[in-house]
Amino acid sequence: MSYIDIQNINFAYHPKRPILQNLSLSIDKGQWIAILGHNGSGKSTLAKAIIGLLEPDFGTIDIDGMTLSPTTVYEIRKKIGIVFQNPDNQFVGVTVRDDIAFGMENLGVPQAEMLEKIDFYAEKVGMKAFLDKEPAELSGGQKQRVAIAGILAMQMDAIIFDEATSMLDPTARRELMDYIRELHNEGLTIIMITHDIEEALWAQRLVIIKDGTVFRQGTREELLKEPVTFIEAGLELPVGLQISNALKQMNALSLELEEHLWESSLKK
Amino acid sequence: MGIQFKEVSFQYPGWGKQFFEALKDISLTINDKDEFIALVGETGSGKSTLAQHMNALIFPTSGTVEINGVPITAKRNKKIKYNSIRQQIGLVFQFPEYQLFEETVEKDIMFGPKNFRVPEEEAREMAKKALNMVGLSDKYLTRNPFNLSGGEKKRVSIAGILAMNPKILILDEPTSGLDPAGKKLLMNLFKSIQKETGKTIIIITHDMDLVYEYTNRVLVLNEGMLEFDGTPDYLFHRHDIDKWHLDYPATISVLRSINDKFHYNLDIYQKTIDAAVSTIAKAVQS
Ligand SMILES: Nc1ncnc2c1ncn2[C@@H]1O[C@H](COP(=O)(O)OP(=O)(O)OP(=O)(O)O)[C@@H](O)[C@H]1O
Ligand SMILES: Nc1ncnc2c1ncn2[C@@H]1O[C@H](COP(=O)(O)OP(=O)(O)OP(=O)(O)O)[C@@H](O)[C@H]1O
Ligand SMILES: [Mg+2]
Ligand SMILES: [Mg+2]
Repeated sequence: MSYIDIQNINFAYHPKRPILQNLSLSIDKGQWIAILGHNGSGKSTLAKAIIGLLEPDFGTIDIDGMTLSPTTVYEIRKKIGIVFQNPDNQFVGVTVRDDIAFGMENLGVPQAEMLEKIDFYAEKVGMKAFLDKEPAELSGGQKQRVAIAGILAMQMDAIIFDEATSMLDPTARRELMDYIRELHNEGLTIIMITHDIEEALWAQRLVIIKDGTVFRQGTREELLKEPVTFIEAGLELPVGLQISNALKQMNALSLELEEHLWESSLKK
Repeated sequence: MGIQFKEVSFQYPGWGKQFFEALKDISLTINDKDEFIALVGETGSGKSTLAQHMNALIFPTSGTVEINGVPITAKRNKKIKYNSIRQQIGLVFQFPEYQLFEETVEKDIMFGPKNFRVPEEEAREMAKKALNMVGLSDKYLTRNPFNLSGGEKKRVSIAGILAMNPKILILDEPTSGLDPAGKKLLMNLFKSIQKETGKTIIIITHDMDLVYEYTNRVLVLNEGMLEFDGTPDYLFHRHDIDKWHLDYPATISVLRSINDKFHYNLDIYQKTIDAAVSTIAKAVQS
């Protein structure tokens, strides 16, 4: 049985406007998947359903063998966390320190351990000098880093990142992704919602959502061989592969060059 | 005319009278015509703070920002019509949530034009047109802007500023949260507005591909200081840009990796994928 098992869910904010439609998706423990899809396709809605913030109108969601319901939702939120698309939705405290502590407090982490972890994770995301600031006094990218630190500090089984790095500079993003990979190697299950194909390729499996349902899923290698899938879903291939495909059409692509473009596009 | 920064510094009031200096001695001239500028730099380097000086949302702690001839200094001046400046210089915020406030998308986009005395019906037309320009259909007019997806909110906030028809357009991370098709649509929209009207457009972004393909001038901020002001080509010819937390555009990286691997001598400074492809094709076929 998969760690997260979504079976045929439907969801609508308004009866006349169905959003998620017959959506099924399974994610194994320790897997890293990326979710791609056009604006309004239902990615954030799906994320909120997985952590029980929205209740599907139909279908079931099982997490770690438990079926999500009003009685299991609190147990499940100790296993799986989310970094929201808008970091302001994550902030409740007066200071950055309070905000990183908030999730841990809910888990009942002892005070001394909590203080240690606040320092550790603030350092990891490069925000240690900002612990006494108010969240409102941070820049966009700084807010995103604090939101991420708060969830990492909870040390859960699985984390959903909903476009959580969209405002980081290239260096900060690479550093963070390297760290996330370390956590993944230690067993963290990761669901990364993103519009950035380069970021998506850190994952083993890609899931493309279109109009509220899974349009296509597979390993990175499988899906990247289907440029048509990307076009139909309104997505883009990495630049190296766009170049490779264009050269091929012009009969100007040697085998060695093709191999090089693929290798360098997939290397993370 | 345009925007001139003259030795501008800015401090945010912090905790216990500890001030934080977000901008340090910035001098800079931006023309009101024919510029497509990228403002880049590390997270927290001061980009959004600088942008908010350009339409008098915040005032310098010292120095002067001259906006279309009107000098803005630390002291508020009752004779200055700050609202008129904010109409001339349109600023789209980094987080759309800070900009949206009406109960429908239509009202939200109409707010700007109406505020500047455009008649109701005309404002309604402008709202619809602006909404379509950012890739959303009329169906969205009656939606509550707070109940939209992240990318939809971003588009509506951009439409709101487009409908004001400002003289200079400043967009703080306009493509974060947009899907690839939306990103292309909007960047091409800004480019065509720039071409057709000659209006200056300034974008803040971390996406070096966009910087290289679309803009003709880059400003790099680092810890509140302006450390580079020049063309994107000049910037990406440098070898030390990682000190500013920047990266090279994908076309340059891919071409460079081909040169390294196959000992070619391709000109790696290609701004678009098409240009990169023909550069490689020419080399392969000769
Ligand atoms: N609270 C809400 N009430 C009504 N409709 C909503 C609400 N939130 C989202 N929607 C609609 O549901 C659809 C899916 O939204 P969702 O936020 O899941 O999209 P998304 O895939 O995350 O998009 P994006 O890439 O723009 O973040 C959108 O069309 C949106 O307008
Ligand atoms: N209201 C505020 N009060 C105090 N300090 C602030 C405030 N807003 C921003 N700062 C600080 O000023 C500096 C510059 O912030 P700014 O938002 O201009 O950065 P930015 O370059 O736009 O970053 P990002 O790319 O992350 O959006 C940051 O270090 C930030 O912490
Ligand atoms: Mg979303
Ligand atoms: Mg900013």
